[in-house]
Amino acid sequence: MSKDFTPKIIYFMCGWCGTGGAESASAYHLYYPENVLPFRVNCTGSLSPVHILRSLIEGADGVLISGCHPGDCHYEDGNFRARRRVGTIKSILGSLGLGEERVWFRYVAHGEGKRFVDTATEFNDHLKKIGPNPLKERSDT
Amino acid sequence: MKGSTLPVEKNIHETVIDFFKKGLDKKCFEAVILPKRVPSGDSFAYLLIKNESILEGTSALPPVIPVQGAKAISNLTRLGNAKEKILAIMHPCEIRATIELFKLKQAYLDNLIFLSFDCPGVLPLADYLENPEKNDQIYQQAFQKWEGKNMRPVCQICTEFSASASDLHIGLLGTDKGKFFLIPVSPEGEAILDSLDLKRDDSLDSWETEVKKLKKEKEDKRKEAHRVQKTEVKGPDKLSETFSKCINCHNCMRVCPVCYCRQCYFDSDAFKLPSENFIKRAEKRGSLRLPADTMLFHLGRMSHMILSCVSCGTCEDACPMSIPVAQIFSMVADDAQQLFDYKPGLNREEPLPNVVYQEEELQEVEKAYSETYSKAEEKNV
Repeated sequence: MSKDFTPKIIYFMCGWCGTGGAESASAYHLYYPENVLPFRVNCTGSLSPVHILRSLIEGADGVLISGCHPGDCHYEDGNFRARRRVGTIKSILGSLGLGEERVWFRYVAHGEGKRFVDTATEFNDHLKKIGPNPLKERSDT
Repeated sequence: MKGSTLPVEKNIHETVIDFFKKGLDKKCFEAVILPKRVPSGDSFAYLLIKNESILEGTSALPPVIPVQGAKAISNLTRLGNAKEKILAIMHPCEIRATIELFKLKQAYLDNLIFLSFDCPGVLPLADYLENPEKNDQIYQQAFQKWEGKNMRPVCQICTEFSASASDLHIGLLGTDKGKFFLIPVSPEGEAILDSLDLKRDDSLDSWETEVKKLKKEKEDKRKEAHRVQKTEVKGPDKLSETFSKCINCHNCMRVCPVCYCRQCYFDSDAFKLPSENFIKRAEKRGSLRLPADTMLFHLGRMSHMILSCVSCGTCEDACPMSIPVAQIFSMVADDAQQLFDYKPGLNREEPLPNVVYQEEELQEVEKAYSETYSKAEEKNV
């Protein structure tokens, strides 16, 4: 893999905790890779599996999903539901060999700026290791 | 387990019809739903029968599934429970799909009594249309040998071919030709047998052993078939190749019993985009297949309904391009359902996996975080 491959990352974060983490990171002057595209959703529970699939097919190399920690969800149980959905989509991608390792799910709380930056950086490095997503190159999808 | 034994005079079918007639006479149920051969002679359609005389010429054990029975039940009860008792005879997979639709609030099951039978599988619809007479004979033979030859590929690896979610069950395995078992599975089923004065104290041991034996065989076959399936479709290249024949007719979605949405997301405005969008996408990839989003449709549909997929195979029957949709879906479904330890359509009380959650579960989905990650990176630099 060439070292200058820059993965395209879609970072779905919930409007309460995930984006709060990004805000905290900026308050602490922490940096995360510029190729991460933050995508705010109201709650990770509102994220349809199709959004994840569409990102992966239409050009993303990886998808990150961050919501509130268990028990912190603004809507009580959205993060638990999201975890089930992400589990399903990862299982589908795994069964069909489309790269379940390209989808990460990790809780990030409002104040956890460092955790947010670490997650983005770690995922970026992880994708650099496994290379570009073959689905995005195909014209017959 | 105990059940009744019914003697077969002419053939199984006639005896079943007799049972229906008795039930209608004694008001155990007010109507029956069962398939009848259509006038053209090469297919079957479900009929809601009130008049006893129409029972003549129906087929209790049809060799094909042209319309999934769950669709018929959903059509009947979408606005609420049936007001009269109705008995419906269906293949086990159709009953399981009905129960999934009940959980999705697209069908109501009060007053409905389901009668299932030991199903040897059904023939591929396209094969049947070519030569109905010959295929009728092939189907009759299937009840003798139970090896699944000529049946649809998903039927050959079906493990829920016997009594599972029904109220009454016709046991054909482990009997000699002169009789079959009528097995009450739920209290409603027992009540019907009681009111028809059918004693239910015959031993079902021979049926149970045969079912267990066949189930074990089929489970092994299923595992093996899924393993082979994975080698054929796994990976972006092979999967694209498999779906490359797709002509975007969306038949698989329309006939699927658990794809119930009145407006499918993939037919919605979310996919009606300005030409600039397509041109941009074509520019990125070099070219873009039109109509676009074929793969997204299949994978997206999968992500929507896979946890309720009962592997009934209707999608594969409906595919004009002979894409092995049902085989792929059944393989993916087994993996996904296992994640939640969920078996669709077996238990009405069991909630859908996407409706409930547990606080402590699926830790493997979360990516574990270690405080030291960024520090370790700094050291490497």
